[in-house]
Amino acid sequence: MSAPAEPTLPAPYRIVGRRQDSADVFTWTVEPLGEPALTFLPGQFNMLYAYGIGEVPVSISSAAAGEPLLHTIRAVGSVTRPMAALPVGTVIGRRGPYGSAWPLAEAEGGDLLIVAGGLGLAPLRPAILGALARRAQFGRLCLLYGTRGPADVLFADQLAAWRARGDLELRVTVDRATPDWTGEVGVVTRLIARADVDPARTTALVCGPEIMMRFAGEALLRRGVPATAIHLSLERNMKCAVGYCGHCQLGPHFICRDGPVLAWPRLAGLLDVAEL
Amino acid sequence: MTLRELVASQRFCQGLSEGQCGELAACASERQFAPGEFLLRQHAPADTFYWVLEGQVKIRLALPGQGLVTLETLGPDEAVGWSWFAPPYRCQFDALATTPTRTLAFAAAPLRALMERDPTVGCAVLKVLVSTLSERVQSCRLQVLDVYAPPGGRR
Ligand SMILES: Cc1cc2nc3c(=O)[nH]c(=O)nc-3n(C[C@H](O)[C@H](O)[C@H](O)COP(=O)(O)OP(=O)(O)OC[C@H]3O[C@@H](n4cnc5c(N)ncnc54)[C@H](O)[C@@H]3O)c2cc1C
Ligand code: FES
Repeated sequence: MSAPAEPTLPAPYRIVGRRQDSADVFTWTVEPLGEPALTFLPGQFNMLYAYGIGEVPVSISSAAAGEPLLHTIRAVGSVTRPMAALPVGTVIGRRGPYGSAWPLAEAEGGDLLIVAGGLGLAPLRPAILGALARRAQFGRLCLLYGTRGPADVLFADQLAAWRARGDLELRVTVDRATPDWTGEVGVVTRLIARADVDPARTTALVCGPEIMMRFAGEALLRRGVPATAIHLSLERNMKCAVGYCGHCQLGPHFICRDGPVLAWPRLAGLLDVAEL
Repeated sequence: MTLRELVASQRFCQGLSEGQCGELAACASERQFAPGEFLLRQHAPADTFYWVLEGQVKIRLALPGQGLVTLETLGPDEAVGWSWFAPPYRCQFDALATTPTRTLAFAAAPLRALMERDPTVGCAVLKVLVSTLSERVQSCRLQVLDVYAPPGGRR
């Protein structure tokens, strides 16, 4: 893992590619100016700094090996909206990688059930690619992906390629169908009951809006997946990202340091408190 | 597999005796639907309770001005429709197959009579129906919450 000498000092990276994934989501390809290629674990995030605008935590959405560094970003507010307008060639700051990773090594030998909601597919992409790269080490592999509507389905080409492999059960569902949508309709959590996995030997990785993750966790428990094998990726506002400032606190956890990936038992009682 | 064995292997038969499964099977037949074929039609009498064995069924509603909207899709091991259980026994939505679909179709009137006559069977069927209903209400609430909407307003 590359550990920066000064943990809060961003290194310059150039945006060398930009793809518009949906109306408000885009993916940057970024390259270091001078420093060696980044090593990271699936599930970790970087702090990305648009000079003069601000800095935000963004998960890494590229494979841990064999791909340039990718970040998939949704333009929601005062930093990410101006980021959406930056042209290819712009230099930004990057520091990290930070946080905990998806427990892929622990999951080997059993089934892997991945539940993604909306933009949650982006932080899960490195885990999916990691599992596919070591496909023989896993039993059944199942990806359930739910999003708002057909126009919001991310990485459509990638999904088609995964489906074509035949060794991954992929189910895509939308909350709101359009007349031309022929796929499944309904919330992604409902697909958990029917996923083709052996619950007792399943590791579940879940990422999406917090309320979706809470219901997904409960559906996984009902299905018989052990609580300790259910892992969620949490988001909180961040400033330092290195455990100094407390901005990202959720109950006893600092999400930047203890998370973002946390096992279900560590989140007991924290996902349904309005003020947290 | 005989119809009786097929019925007995479904989860609503868990805990029921062979005789009770037989009585349930007496209300049932196996029915297949081609893509586009209707299981239920809005406003029609709700005289059948379908249990999906294979395939996919979509629940659809006609919305004035917006055409036909698919609200959800259902698959194997799921119940389609509950209007057969409560008066006035009229379908509220369309249900139609989107892929080749195999179902167990229970005739509603004899099924209701059996459930009245034998509360153990009634309870077994109701348990499945209520869990289906609670799952659908929960899903529906999440859909209404529009959890993937952009912050600060819906598109
Ligand atoms: C560990 C971690 C990983 C993340 N990974 C990604 C990623 O891969 N891609 C990505 O696009 N974002 C990711 N985020 C979220 C991202 O950091 C925020 O969307 C960003 O900080 C918003 O900054 P802003 O200044 O543009 O918006 P602000 O001006 O801070 O907020 C504008 C509006 O957006 C809302 N908002 C802020 N953050 C979020 C959010 N996360 N979800 C929904 N609404 C929000 C605010 O409540 C406000 O209404 C991650 C966050 C964390 C903590
Ligand atoms: S962001 Fe500062 S402690 Fe986590």
